[in-house]
Amino acid sequence: MLFRLECKKIICSIAFIIYCIISFFFFFTQYYGGGTFREMPPVEGVGDYGDKIEENHDVIMSGALDSLVGEYAANKYVCYPFGFYKGVHLKDKKQAKIAEYLKELTGTDDSGLGEILGTGEQYFLGDSTEPMYAYYDVPISDSLTYERFTEIMGDIDDILGGGSEYDPDALVSNYSFVPMTYEEAKAEYDDFYTKDRITGGLARLFSDYSGIALGIIPVFAAASLTAADRKRRMHELIYTRSISSLRLVLTRYAALIFTMSIPVFVQMLIALVQAIIVYKGEPMDYLGFFKLPTVWLLPILMTSTAVGMFITEIFSSTAAIFVQVALWFYSVMTGSTALAGRIGRFGLICRHNTATERSLFIANAGNFIFSRIFWTVVSLALVGLTAAIYNAKRGGRFNGIRLFGKDSIFRRKA
Amino acid sequence: MESGCLARIAYSDVRHNLLVHYLAAVGVLLVTPVIFGLEGLSSRMAAIPLETMPLLMGIVLLTPILAPEQNECIFEVVRSKKTSRHIVTGMRIVCSLVILAVLIGVLGGYMMCNDCDVTFRMLAGAFAGAFAIGCFGFFFAAVTDNPIIGYMVSLMYFMMNLFLKKELWKFCLMSMSYGISGCKPVVAVTGAVLIAAALIYRKIAKNEN
Repeated sequence: MLFRLECKKIICSIAFIIYCIISFFFFFTQYYGGGTFREMPPVEGVGDYGDKIEENHDVIMSGALDSLVGEYAANKYVCYPFGFYKGVHLKDKKQAKIAEYLKELTGTDDSGLGEILGTGEQYFLGDSTEPMYAYYDVPISDSLTYERFTEIMGDIDDILGGGSEYDPDALVSNYSFVPMTYEEAKAEYDDFYTKDRITGGLARLFSDYSGIALGIIPVFAAASLTAADRKRRMHELIYTRSISSLRLVLTRYAALIFTMSIPVFVQMLIALVQAIIVYKGEPMDYLGFFKLPTVWLLPILMTSTAVGMFITEIFSSTAAIFVQVALWFYSVMTGSTALAGRIGRFGLICRHNTATERSLFIANAGNFIFSRIFWTVVSLALVGLTAAIYNAKRGGRFNGIRLFGKDSIFRRKA
Repeated sequence: MESGCLARIAYSDVRHNLLVHYLAAVGVLLVTPVIFGLEGLSSRMAAIPLETMPLLMGIVLLTPILAPEQNECIFEVVRSKKTSRHIVTGMRIVCSLVILAVLIGVLGGYMMCNDCDVTFRMLAGAFAGAFAIGCFGFFFAAVTDNPIIGYMVSLMYFMMNLFLKKELWKFCLMSMSYGISGCKPVVAVTGAVLIAAALIYRKIAKNEN
């Protein structure tokens, strides 16, 4: 009964209506338009066939070392800590640390490193007067193991502030991409029909786009609903009811998840119908759009909703929006440096912006599963905490945190 | 109305209602060098931080202009006063725009000092975009009487600018980054129209003075 009432309240709210509009707008502009065409098979001898990951440690070490020496020589390290370009210039002390690592990587001393640095090719980017350097086949120490190499790369990434090409999680995707042959590209294409059975691949693309929207929009509906009691001055009335805080919060959370899943479910249906029309006559998995996207998107929806409820209950709806925007911005922008082939263990929004390239996704399957479980646990923990805070408020033991003084706008705005 | 009275209203409003939003906008400015590299950028590269972060400042500063009156007690007090609510709203808008202009100026000045190819025309463009998206949020907050909706719509517009790019036609707020010309005057005028429309709507539909 309560669940139905909460669902009705949410569906009639303007936040939910705008949620639906934005969600469908994003679906039609991002996914649907591109889904009107069939994935085309590679044509032998025409164009390139894309890339594949081949985890060859020698290739990775050589490529990363060449790049690192070049950036060290120019003292300009290209980083994308939040998906945007950032040129990092190190001070002498940190540069000296990088030099020490370079000596260990190359198995040389000061003079040896000096000799290596002298072999670089100088060039200039665009109109820039800042010289850059390119190095090829920098020698690698014979005693260097791949484990020690990744350890050093991790330290260097930390020195650079993160988001560099030397991030151990990104080394493989940065330096181990090799061009595919026609046969490999054909096999990848065939996987789309045989292993993914069409909808499996399309579902990944669908989830990629939907995840971006679901990472942010639900927080508004959640914050709006959570703050509604205070805004309508109903909270004191509800506090006196016999229902337990946990049951009330869980029911509201379930109602939010259920109602906000409806537009996504409708979009899955539309995507399935579109796939049936576009790939007419081809055997496909008709449940493909409902399996992977559920696992992929539900933790995102659960997390952004839980953050909205939790922060609104402690601070205010505005604070909840800011927190979720920051989390979304970080997750989307750090994920945008590689649109396929790199899924982090703690990334809320996973990216795989292609219907094919199944092997790249499978290579990251471990991280994908870990991240989904992690965010599901986080969201459930946040809901539990929200219930505890709500209970404390009911008992008069807690009255929310005022961020800025007695007359804080956060307190009064609700 | 005496200017001293207006100044007192402005001081009180800023102190009690708007300061937190000004601080949030300053926070956005302070995290800009953490997110972006701001040294030695060409005009095209410099346009990216200059068009991204001011949009967030615009949302933070202009969307919650009508938020204080969400509290019904404050609303009743404001209604009972002789001073027109539109004057108070206008004053808040002016204060927020001044802060926005100062913050964009500081960001642009910092970039100029770090050998970035930034011009005053670009700063004006950044201001126009931030103004427009802020007005967008203000309009929806005013019409729905709910700042959350204002944030929702303006942040979604921000998201569309990140992902849809050129599909937004003349309403693209990151036109300098994408190399589209003629957008800034359109978005600036749209922003002004949205502010006027919001105030007219409140006057007619909500019977505000």
